Amino acid sequence: MRAAVECAGGEPVTALVRYQCALLVRGHRWLAPAVLYAAILAIGIRGGEPALDSLGFAAAALTPSAAWLVRICVGAEPDAARACTVAARGAARTHLAALLAALAGALTLALAGTGAVLAVSDPRSSDHEVRLDVLPTAAAGLTAAVSCALLGVAVGALANRPVLRGPARSVPATLIGALAVLVAGVSPANAAVTGLVTGSRHGTVDLPLGPLALAAAVTAAAAAAACAVSGRRG
Amino acid sequence: MRLEGVGRRYGVRGPWVLRGVELGLPPGGGVVRVEGANGSGKSTLLRLLAGIDRPSAGRISGRPSRTAYVPERFPATGLPFTARGWLVHLGRVHGLGSGEARARAGEWLERFGAAEFAGAPLDELSKGTCQKVAVAQGLLADPGLLVLDEAWTGLDAAARGALDVAVGELAARGSTVVFVDHDPSRLPGADRWQVAAGAVTPARTAPYAVITVSGPEDAPLPPDVVAVRTGDRVSLTVPDERADEVLRELLTCEPPWSVRGVSR
Repeated sequence: MRAAVECAGGEPVTALVRYQCALLVRGHRWLAPAVLYAAILAIGIRGGEPALDSLGFAAAALTPSAAWLVRICVGAEPDAARACTVAARGAARTHLAALLAALAGALTLALAGTGAVLAVSDPRSSDHEVRLDVLPTAAAGLTAAVSCALLGVAVGALANRPVLRGPARSVPATLIGALAVLVAGVSPANAAVTGLVTGSRHGTVDLPLGPLALAAAVTAAAAAAACAVSGRRG
Repeated sequence: MRLEGVGRRYGVRGPWVLRGVELGLPPGGGVVRVEGANGSGKSTLLRLLAGIDRPSAGRISGRPSRTAYVPERFPATGLPFTARGWLVHLGRVHGLGSGEARARAGEWLERFGAAEFAGAPLDELSKGTCQKVAVAQGLLADPGLLVLDEAWTGLDAAARGALDVAVGELAARGSTVVFVDHDPSRLPGADRWQVAAGAVTPARTAPYAVITVSGPEDAPLPPDVVAVRTGDRVSLTVPDERADEVLRELLTCEPPWSVRGVSR
């Protein structure tokens, strides 16, 4: 994130991200997607189940909330205030700052979700036979969650303004996109989650770094495209 | 800053709101008034100048790195900040440090008579006070280009006067201020651009006089004149036909001003 901030113009973008994060946090708009995430975890995860299976589920559950956070962040600022920020720093940077604020929110959820799942689940393989080391398990779960959060942000960036305008298109596109990146065979989110579940069956922990790198690249491209559209359409 | 062949239309087949606009902003800074009928494209021109909107054709180059915009109405519902909190955020976005942003937010709210609302949540403020916050935002970071879209609307008389003075000071420091306002006597020394039928043409500036005076700090200034204070001197820009009336007011007010020079 630091690199993205610096290549987009240094300090003022940091100030923009800080402003967008404050809009998200102080306005309590983060609550709804956070509650959605917590509710899915509460329904889908039971105490004492194998850790990697639960972590895979928790990671996948993050994608729709991350996409929703983007929808909230890119529409958080009232138009009159947005005109002031865009005049100061340009539409592309203002949009990038909103996406980075959403990503920061999604990563916070990833951290909290992974921690909560680890606390209640059994650090063993699917058949409860093989004991797994806690730290590598946590790292693998977090990596998968971050991959899913990144892809959720990518979906949110492409399905909301300025790429798609109006709730009639944006809301279904956000939902369908978030589900599609979970089930599509080529998706790094799918690969990361599948990796955890397979590892759980075999009693091995694989850090899904390949899917993470791919998810980061896809998200960077989606964000760049959305910011470019924002710069062109103003 | 230059506009070359700038056009703007909404939608790929929409009618051109502006077309083939060739303009240069005064290089050493100055004040430009944009005039035209309702719906002629004044606001579109201002949004293009401020960089909020992109031209559909042509290009705009040389925009100052610090550009600020003040909208006509500033509804602050949905901004979960206090007046000062939002100004500090925007000051940082404009490139100020946190401490400086905070100090300047306080100063500008004070100049517009809104210091007592600094700690109040934005969505509890009256329309007029919100507008003062928006205007303070525009002036916070000494912009090289300030774009005011009827920013005076909704301000009380004292704040309107304070904005006139602030615009004069900014222009005197070499910045450019472009504005739209429905009061034809607003900032009478300004250059004028006429927007009509999608074209923008510089209009001949009405003749005006500059009166330089000095006097004690508490001496009152006549209303509705552009006053720029440099040291103990104040330069007033007034329309030619009002020059005698303003001179009379300056010499008869209590305490009186002493006139240092009059030029046209």
